[in-house]
Amino acid sequence: MRIVVDRDRCTGLGMCEAEAPDLFEVQDDGTLKLLNDRPGAPDRESAESAVLACPTEALSLVED
Amino acid sequence: MTVEADFIPATSEAKPEYSPIDVSSKAFWSQTFEQREGRFARLRALEPVSWQRPVEDAVAPDPHDPGYWALVKHADIVRVSRDAKTFISGQGVMFDLLAPMFLEMSQSFLAMDGPKHDHLRKLISSAFTPRRIQRIDEQIKVAAREVVDGFAGNPSGEIDFATDCAEKLPVRLFCDMFGVPDQLRARTAKAAADIVSWADPEALAGRSPAEVQLGACQTLHGIAAQLITERRKSPADDLFTNLVQAEVDGERLTDAEIGAFFVLLSVAGTDTTKHTSSLTVKALTDFPDQREWLRADYQGRIKTAVEEFVRFASPVMTFRRTAVVETELGGKKIIPGDKVVLFYPSGNWDADVFADPDRFDLSRDPNPHLGFGGGGAHFCLGNQLAKGALRALFSELLTRLPDFEAGEPDLLGTNFMRGVKRLPFRFRPER
Repeated sequence: MRIVVDRDRCTGLGMCEAEAPDLFEVQDDGTLKLLNDRPGAPDRESAESAVLACPTEALSLVED
Repeated sequence: MTVEADFIPATSEAKPEYSPIDVSSKAFWSQTFEQREGRFARLRALEPVSWQRPVEDAVAPDPHDPGYWALVKHADIVRVSRDAKTFISGQGVMFDLLAPMFLEMSQSFLAMDGPKHDHLRKLISSAFTPRRIQRIDEQIKVAAREVVDGFAGNPSGEIDFATDCAEKLPVRLFCDMFGVPDQLRARTAKAAADIVSWADPEALAGRSPAEVQLGACQTLHGIAAQLITERRKSPADDLFTNLVQAEVDGERLTDAEIGAFFVLLSVAGTDTTKHTSSLTVKALTDFPDQREWLRADYQGRIKTAVEEFVRFASPVMTFRRTAVVETELGGKKIIPGDKVVLFYPSGNWDADVFADPDRFDLSRDPNPHLGFGGGGAHFCLGNQLAKGALRALFSELLTRLPDFEAGEPDLLGTNFMRGVKRLPFRFRPER
């Protein structure tokens, strides 16, 4: 599983960061940094919550 | 607002008759929140997308304004909020028709789209992320404690909650973040409150709405100008410094741009949380079982509860968008230039999404309320700060003054903000 960020949609609000602080971190310039773009099974649920929480629908999970 | 070359005018072409269920009249907006919800409920059931006449008694009436589409269903508000390719903000976002000069001085990135919006917003957005708000959590708690210290020992056991408590915390947090010095804070708060009071006869006190709004804008631009000069000379660790140092496409922001930024954030960052706090002490008075439920495990329950605080308060009542692509909503044809107005409290009372919406249910989960907007690029930047402030304030109130009672709120006359001017608040004083 891989996390994909649509950079055109992401506004750096950080709702994902609240759901999954181990996976996402908004930088000082407002861009989103993926701390781990290939989370393992234990992080799956929080990754899914982050995708749902994003108000700009900028996140998606891709199965490899 | 500057009229751009590609501005798409509204048209009365192919529109139905105005809806008999009218939400534009001054009389409607003078009703109580509960009475208005009755009419929204009828619209949700009978005409979820309705064509409405222009708002009555506008500050700056537009004789060419044909009216607007009223969106009252949760799903429609979410759809429009998230589809910025079809529904733009750049032709204005206020429901009421306000003076162009005021809009120019106050709207900043609120009334922008696309990269221009994103660039401006990102100049400060990193200060509002969950991690950054978590980092200032202790500062927020200290501020909440000191605000409650200010009246908890008052032997009369009675205050006006709106001014003596609710306003104080968000104003302090906002001014801390922006670096507004103590001696300018009261003026900042007063001007921010004046801006949303344009339809309230008491606040206007005989002055014209445009005069009050422009006066408040000038006050805030004046404060901004002073801080701009100071921070250019000696930078500090605050958002004003970010703004004076920022470059967008290689250019510094102008003083006017920074001023408008400051006006927007001063309203967005203070009035909303203030009114939500007031409306929440009233709700906790009206639903004592919910107060007891929350007190029984505050730390474990407040995170869920605070979402219901925001849904039930629904402080921001309206924003609008303008269609730029032909589309359909609720079976109605929407054409470029059409205004659509989002009625957030109505979406927050939509029974398709919220079971028993009249019930203040602090355990409601999930709670996809529209209190911070319906999503999309304009979703409330300060949502984490607002929730942090509410958590800290209600921790103090429910621990120290657990049997407080709120009386009847005195509401601001406006179609924009569900504002509480005064709220009697009684408590057993601390000794």
